[in-house]
Amino acid sequence: MTRAADPVPWPTASFGAQVRVLTARSLKSTVADRRLLFFLLLQPIVLLLLFSQVFSAIAALPQVAIYDSYVNFLVPATMVNIGIATAMGTGTGLLAEIYSGFAERLRSMPINLFAVLAARTVADTVRLAALLVVTVLASVALLGFRPAGGVLGVTAALLLTLVVGWCFSWLFVAITTWLRKAETLQTVSFIVMFPLMFSSSAYMPLDAMPVWMQIVSVVNPVTSAIDAVRALALGMPVGWSVYIALTVSGAIALVGMLISNRSVRERRF
Amino acid sequence: MDGPVIACEGLGKQYGEAAALTDINLSVRRGTVLGILGHNGAGKTTLIDILSTRLRPTHGRAQVCGFDVVRHGGQVRRRIGVVGQFPAVDNAMTGRDNLVLVARLLGATARQAKERAEQLLTLFQLGDASDNPVLTYSGGMRRRLDLAAGLVGAPEVLFLDEPTTGLDPVSRAGLWFAVEQLAAIGTTVVLTTQYLDEADRLANEVIVLGLGQITVSGTPAELKGRLGSRVAMLTFASVLNAEAARNAINRLRLRETGTANPVTIGVALPQAADVTALVRALDTAGAPPIDFTVSEPTLDDVYLSLFQAAGYVGGGAWNQAAGFQVPAAPAASVWS
Repeated sequence: MTRAADPVPWPTASFGAQVRVLTARSLKSTVADRRLLFFLLLQPIVLLLLFSQVFSAIAALPQVAIYDSYVNFLVPATMVNIGIATAMGTGTGLLAEIYSGFAERLRSMPINLFAVLAARTVADTVRLAALLVVTVLASVALLGFRPAGGVLGVTAALLLTLVVGWCFSWLFVAITTWLRKAETLQTVSFIVMFPLMFSSSAYMPLDAMPVWMQIVSVVNPVTSAIDAVRALALGMPVGWSVYIALTVSGAIALVGMLISNRSVRERRF
Repeated sequence: MDGPVIACEGLGKQYGEAAALTDINLSVRRGTVLGILGHNGAGKTTLIDILSTRLRPTHGRAQVCGFDVVRHGGQVRRRIGVVGQFPAVDNAMTGRDNLVLVARLLGATARQAKERAEQLLTLFQLGDASDNPVLTYSGGMRRRLDLAAGLVGAPEVLFLDEPTTGLDPVSRAGLWFAVEQLAAIGTTVVLTTQYLDEADRLANEVIVLGLGQITVSGTPAELKGRLGSRVAMLTFASVLNAEAARNAINRLRLRETGTANPVTIGVALPQAADVTALVRALDTAGAPPIDFTVSEPTLDDVYLSLFQAAGYVGGGAWNQAAGFQVPAAPAASVWS
């Protein structure tokens, strides 16, 4: 017992070190939970199968015909939407963490609680990367996805999706730290997520939609990301789309961080 | 380093109209074990939460290790350990990983963290289960792990919020032992409890909270001297003798404490001289007891007499509202 109160000469862990340690913890728990890992990776395959079959009639539209097949049109958009869904998961995962016993310990420790939020977003981005790789490989193998952008284009599309997904996770982190209640969070998250996903160019070419929906879709921050990811993966002219996507997502991340930092400062994280 | 390790001045916490804590003034020297007693809702946890920087006070100020808990929360958090009412550990991780994680977050390298975890696992006899998920631990083991996690950073001040609630007697004794050892090496310990024997055994200073205010404070001995009293239990050979003794006791104006047995009489003896006076009076009355025991006051007596005065126990508003006819039962007869 005499050693319990020996002075501990450790210097304070830097913000980066805190994020690293907490991210590693989060990822370790995902890998340790085999069932979670399995269903996590199954999820995008189910989604893709579903959408490619249900919406197959869209393939006949002349606006889609230029992509050779509906799957080529669909897969890049699905990548982005998986990113949005993962970002939403960041919120619900964080909420569970807020109410766990371990959060109680974190609150009384000399650490920056913003690091807890950041670690959650980074860990989820790593998980997203695994999801996206599985998605792309499965679409090539099972659905006949033939991206004209080749390995390089698809890799660029994947990286952009990761950045966009990470940025959007801050939107849901902000909502979570603001609401702090499971039922409300779920309802609000769905209200935010579904319009983001569907009022975009993900499943339908914009000019095949009613005019008012076209306007909504253009304003929708996800549309810019989908356009950029699609252009990169399919080897189409990229133009300004990547910059627009990065700017829009970056702005969302910044606002999300500012809002969540407020609750962190009150140590309500 | 000679100043108080914990200092509060007019500390208060208001939730809208309701005051959870009012005008707390406190000065705790290094190495003290401070016991905070009080009913549920008396403000014990609120006080601990403010001192451990997890809750902002609305009035007054508080310093821990010389740092203001609001303005220099980070400095305070570097010097304290907190063990709450519910184990603050990650149930999905192993006991070892929990301790390693805490150490890493406190700035230890991977190797230092491993060493520290090993040290604490041995200390709290968790070695055998250290690589199993916490989910499989018993309540007592979880508490021990929680306490170990609170000690990873070798805190100067350790806050324990009802550390033994719900523990079996063996785990409880183990935790008491740990607190005593910590106190022996100079750690300041602040512990809340509802168990009076716990405060009596561990604390060298006690404050009693009631409705968010310090009702009374002092060392356990002082409190017992001031508020509790020595009680003599006298047993007589016959009811006749008991009656004669009762008259003698009444003439001495000593307070009788009720007993269930007609030949047994309990007498409160607030002054040391009362003992000799009682013996002499019984002798004069020709009623010698066949059994005579004197019990020392306990913190229970203090506690009950305090809350009896405040209307919490016996004859209070709550009992009246419930239509109870409560005899003004003296504390000692209930407890000793």
